Amino acid sequence: MEDVAKGLGLLLEFENIILILSGVLIGVLVGALPGLSSPMAIALLIPFTISLDPVAAISMMAALYCAGTFGGSITAILINAPGAPPAVATALDGYPMAKNGEPGRALGLAAVSSVFGGIFSLIIFIFAAPLLAKLALEFGPAEYFGLAVFALSMLASMSGKSSLRNLISGLVGVLIGTIGIHLTTGVERFTFDIPDLEEGIHFVPVLIGLFAVSELFKQSEKLNAIVERIQAKALRLPSLAELKKLKYTILRSSGIGTFIGILPAEGSTVAAIIGYNEARRWSKDKDKFGKGSPEGIAGPEAANNAAAGGAMVPTLALGIPGSGSTALILAALIMHGFRPGPYLISETPEFVYAIFGAMLIANLGFLFIGLIGAKFFSLVAFIPKKLLWPAVFIFSMIGSYSFASSMFDVWVMLAAGLVGYFMDRNGFSAAPLVMGLILGKLVEESFSQSMIIHDNNFFALLESPVVLLFFVLTFLSLSSPFWTKFFSKK
Amino acid sequence: MKNDKTAPSNLGALFNKKDTIIAIVMIAMIAFLWFETTKFEKVPDLFSNNIPPEMFPQILLLIILGMILIIPFEHIFLKKSGKNIDSARSKPVEKSTIGTMIILTAIIASSQLLGAALTIIAVSISLPLYWGERRLKVLISYIIGFPLFVIVLFNIILGVHFEPGLLDLLKN
Repeated sequence: MEDVAKGLGLLLEFENIILILSGVLIGVLVGALPGLSSPMAIALLIPFTISLDPVAAISMMAALYCAGTFGGSITAILINAPGAPPAVATALDGYPMAKNGEPGRALGLAAVSSVFGGIFSLIIFIFAAPLLAKLALEFGPAEYFGLAVFALSMLASMSGKSSLRNLISGLVGVLIGTIGIHLTTGVERFTFDIPDLEEGIHFVPVLIGLFAVSELFKQSEKLNAIVERIQAKALRLPSLAELKKLKYTILRSSGIGTFIGILPAEGSTVAAIIGYNEARRWSKDKDKFGKGSPEGIAGPEAANNAAAGGAMVPTLALGIPGSGSTALILAALIMHGFRPGPYLISETPEFVYAIFGAMLIANLGFLFIGLIGAKFFSLVAFIPKKLLWPAVFIFSMIGSYSFASSMFDVWVMLAAGLVGYFMDRNGFSAAPLVMGLILGKLVEESFSQSMIIHDNNFFALLESPVVLLFFVLTFLSLSSPFWTKFFSKK
Repeated sequence: MKNDKTAPSNLGALFNKKDTIIAIVMIAMIAFLWFETTKFEKVPDLFSNNIPPEMFPQILLLIILGMILIIPFEHIFLKKSGKNIDSARSKPVEKSTIGTMIILTAIIASSQLLGAALTIIAVSISLPLYWGERRLKVLISYIIGFPLFVIVLFNIILGVHFEPGLLDLLKN
């Protein structure tokens, strides 16, 4: 509890609170703007947070992540277009309720359920963290290598249509990570005599390109799409009686969301869909689903925000993110000199608790911001794409350039944007590539160290039960499409 | 004879044309990168701890190659699980997207000459105009207001260094 108090104490500085609330505001705004997403906003924010204190920087991004998940439900409810994938199930009943003349009620239900789900998952984490910290005692280079291999295998189920393509993306990311001077030997690899490549390709311009610029290209295809928008005058909180009716739905979905969030590489979207399905399955008014059922909003919203909190557990404790946003938070942690994984909790528990404190503030913050700014956020959706996306590109350019004051990074960003656009068209997801790029150095470093320790005998690695466990989990994860089919047939 | 006639269509069903092209391009890239790894500077075993610098990239290239060989046939497995890999690429790339790509590449190529402020203005003018924004009042306020906001926020408040470019020449 001392660490919890210390962590929360770190947040109480005025500057940190302001940054967290700014993160919340940006998150809700980004969520409310169709096409913009939390990963994109985090990617753009990373270069500008380098000079900040790590607690302030990561807290701001974590707050943005939480608020972005809620923000996505604003467009899901008002224009039937989820601002973020986790809000996809919210649109099923949120939009019909808004169309029935109750947009404020739908937003209120979404906000309160999100807050509850988010806080629920954070409480679970506070109790689980000390147990996870004990894991750190078992970890050496071989165990880190096993963990990194497992993390890479989990990329298969991260997003997109094809597990195979996700894995290829992830491995290409690891390969890009090998560009530059090899740390052990000082040999230049894949530099093609270009001096800018000697230090390797940094992930900041790559992720800005993959998340922001490629999205700009996608949006340029649908500039003239007309969407019907419903304007909300105010967010209306649900009454106590209504909350009483929804308590089991919210509790159930919070549990589901937290559990799914904790599973490595399973994000908020899966949680929201299961949350919705379970809400429907247990509902007494199944017929109302799809027509504006309050349970149809509370279920997915509690689940997706609980999953957002839950997803931070594998991200921080194992270094395995469950979504694009958590992958970027992981990148930011590495940039600030932290090594996500079991040691993070055991060596800097107050830092981890500070991040969770920030998420707690963010959960309350977006309820407050939603209450006073619902009308504004519903207007935000009216900003024309033709003016919004040039602004995104300018922020992308400045973000990539300012990172190292290098035009080369701006070219890397543009190239990543073009590659990301064509990857997406062909079913390759960007998030695994970013993850591969982030994990790449860790994989190679831990692989080399383990081989040196074990006299280049790969099989000696398996003498460690933890490594063996990770390899078994990797095998199960990669073969899951086959055995799930086998069991479903039975 | 009958079998010969049906052979091409069966093959067509087996291979996905677009994925086959992707696989060929990626295999060519892997071959090129593999060749590059053979040109890495040689390091004595003692110095590299028996893990030469080319070892890890070569392992990766081999694993990627193995996976890429499945790509042309993957559509069969995906179809069975109700997924259509061609849905996003059924239409050709829109002209507006290609135009956007060209404009942005041209702007970045000329950004060192233009300098940061003029580059920001160039993006603010060219993209909305190209995308069909014709409301003059909106355009003018955007072209003046947004770059000004960006310069004040990043250059003056956050201290990001902006290359002066052409503006420096004009000043002198």
